[in-house]
Amino acid sequence: MRAKLTDEQERIQETAEDFLESNGGIEFARREMEGEDVVDEVWAEISDLDYPAVTVPIDHGGLGEGMVYLSALLEATGRYAMPGPLPETAAVGAPLIADLGDEDQKDEYLPAVADGDCRLSVAVYNDRNESLPAAVGADGEVAEDGSVTISGTKTLVPYADAVDEVVVATRTREAGGYDGVTLCLVDPESEGVSVEALDSLDRTRPLYDLELDLTVPPERVLGPAHGGGSALERAADRFTVASCAMLVGAADRAVDMSAEYSTERTQYGQPIGKFQAVKHRTADMWIDMQSARSLTYYAAWALDADDPDATRAVSAAKSYAADRLHRVFGDDMWNHGGTGFTWDHDAHIYLKQAKAWRNFLGTPEEHRDRLIEARLSE
Amino acid sequence: MDFEYTAEQEQFREELQEWLEENLPDGWTEGDRDVPDDQDEREQFLRDWQARLYEGNWAGLHWPSEYGGRDASLIEQTVYREETAKYHTPQQINAIGINFVGPTLMEVGTDEQKERYLSNILNGEEVWCQGYSEPGAGSDIASLTTRAERDGDEFRINGQKIWTSYAHYADWCFLVTRTDDSGLKHEGITTILVDMDQEGVSTSPIHQASDEEGFNQMYFDDAVAPVENVVGEVDEGWDVVMTLSSFEHGTTRIFSIEQRYKDILEYCKNNTRNGQPLVQDPVVRQELADLDSRIQAAKVSHLRNVSKQMETGMPGPEGSMDLVVADELANDLENFAVNILGPEAALWEDGPEDGQWVRDYLQTYGSWIAAGTGDIQRNIIGERVLGMPKDDKSQTSHREES
Ligand SMILES: Cc1cc2nc3c(=O)[nH]c(=O)nc-3n(C[C@H](O)[C@H](O)[C@H](O)COP(=O)(O)OP(=O)(O)OC[C@H]3O[C@@H](n4cnc5c(N)ncnc54)[C@H](O)[C@@H]3O)c2cc1C
Repeated sequence: MRAKLTDEQERIQETAEDFLESNGGIEFARREMEGEDVVDEVWAEISDLDYPAVTVPIDHGGLGEGMVYLSALLEATGRYAMPGPLPETAAVGAPLIADLGDEDQKDEYLPAVADGDCRLSVAVYNDRNESLPAAVGADGEVAEDGSVTISGTKTLVPYADAVDEVVVATRTREAGGYDGVTLCLVDPESEGVSVEALDSLDRTRPLYDLELDLTVPPERVLGPAHGGGSALERAADRFTVASCAMLVGAADRAVDMSAEYSTERTQYGQPIGKFQAVKHRTADMWIDMQSARSLTYYAAWALDADDPDATRAVSAAKSYAADRLHRVFGDDMWNHGGTGFTWDHDAHIYLKQAKAWRNFLGTPEEHRDRLIEARLSE
Repeated sequence: MDFEYTAEQEQFREELQEWLEENLPDGWTEGDRDVPDDQDEREQFLRDWQARLYEGNWAGLHWPSEYGGRDASLIEQTVYREETAKYHTPQQINAIGINFVGPTLMEVGTDEQKERYLSNILNGEEVWCQGYSEPGAGSDIASLTTRAERDGDEFRINGQKIWTSYAHYADWCFLVTRTDDSGLKHEGITTILVDMDQEGVSTSPIHQASDEEGFNQMYFDDAVAPVENVVGEVDEGWDVVMTLSSFEHGTTRIFSIEQRYKDILEYCKNNTRNGQPLVQDPVVRQELADLDSRIQAAKVSHLRNVSKQMETGMPGPEGSMDLVVADELANDLENFAVNILGPEAALWEDGPEDGQWVRDYLQTYGSWIAAGTGDIQRNIIGERVLGMPKDDKSQTSHREES
């Protein structure tokens, strides 16, 4: 029992924070919001620091680490809302290829991911109003030679125009839940694919529609036909934990901003931090942030350890983070008064991020339901 | 990050389980957990349990072995809390002696004091209470007025204490007094060990909101204590108060809250409303899941604090978070428990488990206040953890500021 990051994990967290701080901190995110394409720039830097390599297995040129390590890192990047598909690549894409891919596929993609030459994203939603797994549409067909023909629209695809490959989930057999899902690797620049940007609430993390009308050859199909569902479900769990980790980092910074501002800003002849309404609100923000961090670390550990408690742990983290951290970002805005409501202040960046993540990969209500189901089947 | 217990820690757990199975009162492990209602009988029952814990060397597991303890690591203490919560073991009548007074004496007591008191604290022969609060000094403990005047080799003590838990059982009181009021209010305070069995000390129980008599008024009317009973220096007792408070943080209730949650979940599985199991009711499910995740968060946060403390050796102000979170969770959980009873929630003694559900619910309001209110804990978090500006007026007078 040691409920603590290792020294090495703490170190990577600190170096990542230092790196971002000395590189303008949240300026990357602001430039992304202004429509500048900063992903190449970010990726060049973080590839040097081995971030995309974190979850790639050691024998394919990576660091072979799991979700705890990645969460520690994403927390640091979350502090400054670092743009780029790092969670998609490291929490979803690389582990899926490592789990499901055959030797050729692993050799082709994983070293490239580790070197920073292959960025990944994931496309699961056909319907913007449905939840997983129902949102995975029946738009695929498996041919006898193992190729998969997909014709349909995937929506809410993060960073689709800044990645090299998208893991596309398509339902190739009529079935419920995660059954009958097939996973394919699709190059968004290939023929039969068109990419269209959506105006998203969180502009640090752009979303796209992907229009698909193509046949994916067998060597780009990941894992068994119709049998990618359970791997996709675990990938969604990892993605969920990754999003929690980023929001925890952001919340940590929001608490810092509130505490600092409360000593600088005076009203009624005293720093506003002396008012208990402000002090207690900020203390509650800190408590919520620490609680979300505890749940995230535990869920990350449970996924790495393949613990039977993992489903419950992931859903606890997601539902808690989605509700409570959203409030933390709102309170941060509130603590800053009029200043907090301006575009120039960072509070809105985090608030929007939290709102955009809220229902992605399951609403908090759905996750609570999933949690209780897991409890009841114990 | 590793939430797996080591083989040695698991062995410690097994040893404890075996001991509990053998030593808990008859019928206890089968769920027949009767604690006498009658005050005298209850006292005897609790004293017997305390003695039994001592015989098994479980009373002061966190005490150093030189004082008769078990030298248990923080993780072993965690395992102990987890298991005793699972077995719903009876409360320790000498909890204040063992958790606060003993460790404080080890830290700042004289050799004579250690010699005289420690073993009797551990074996439960002398039960202790903690005389801090007064009618005019609760959160703001430094404004206390109970006086201790030097009179030859003795201190003569006059004043009133209130809300003192265990005073009706206690043989000794760890008393905070004022010996000088010429300086700042946290100066001129002296902590004294006072024998409860004397003419000048009287207690009277206070009827609590939970219909129980758990705490008391205490009156000191020319009570005496020899000067050698002063803990630390005369007029410098504030430091001692701080030392004692720091031990209060290590006593999380999260494991008994978790256990209680599991019992309530069972209830929801096995009981129906309008023909539908409670666990199928969407609102009940959402609430259960929310409580579940909060409990998990609180537990992991506590384990994180423990892990940190094992490295730094110090219980940080983060302990305030354990307190706030556990208090609110316990209240929300018991509140939920009573709510799901349906119209039966209107009953007390005639309700489930002879009113215990309602009593537990009411009791959480007391716990909320007992170890320093959530407001005070939030001040500590804001000021000590987040470095927010202090309110000049409340500076260094928080009960739990340690
Ligand atoms: C079940 C129980 C057991 C107890 N056992 C013991 C015991 O064994 N020994 C002992 O000495 N005492 C004991 N107490 C007393 C307990 O420590 C005090 O009740 C507690 O410290 C609060 O003090 P108070 O009751 O005077 O409330 P007050 O301090 O008067 O507080 C009233 C309200 O004002 C708020 N408040 C006060 N100051 C501030 C501030 N600076 N900022 C914001 N809000 C503030 C409080 O949060 C509270 O909501 C016990 C109490 C209970 C309920």
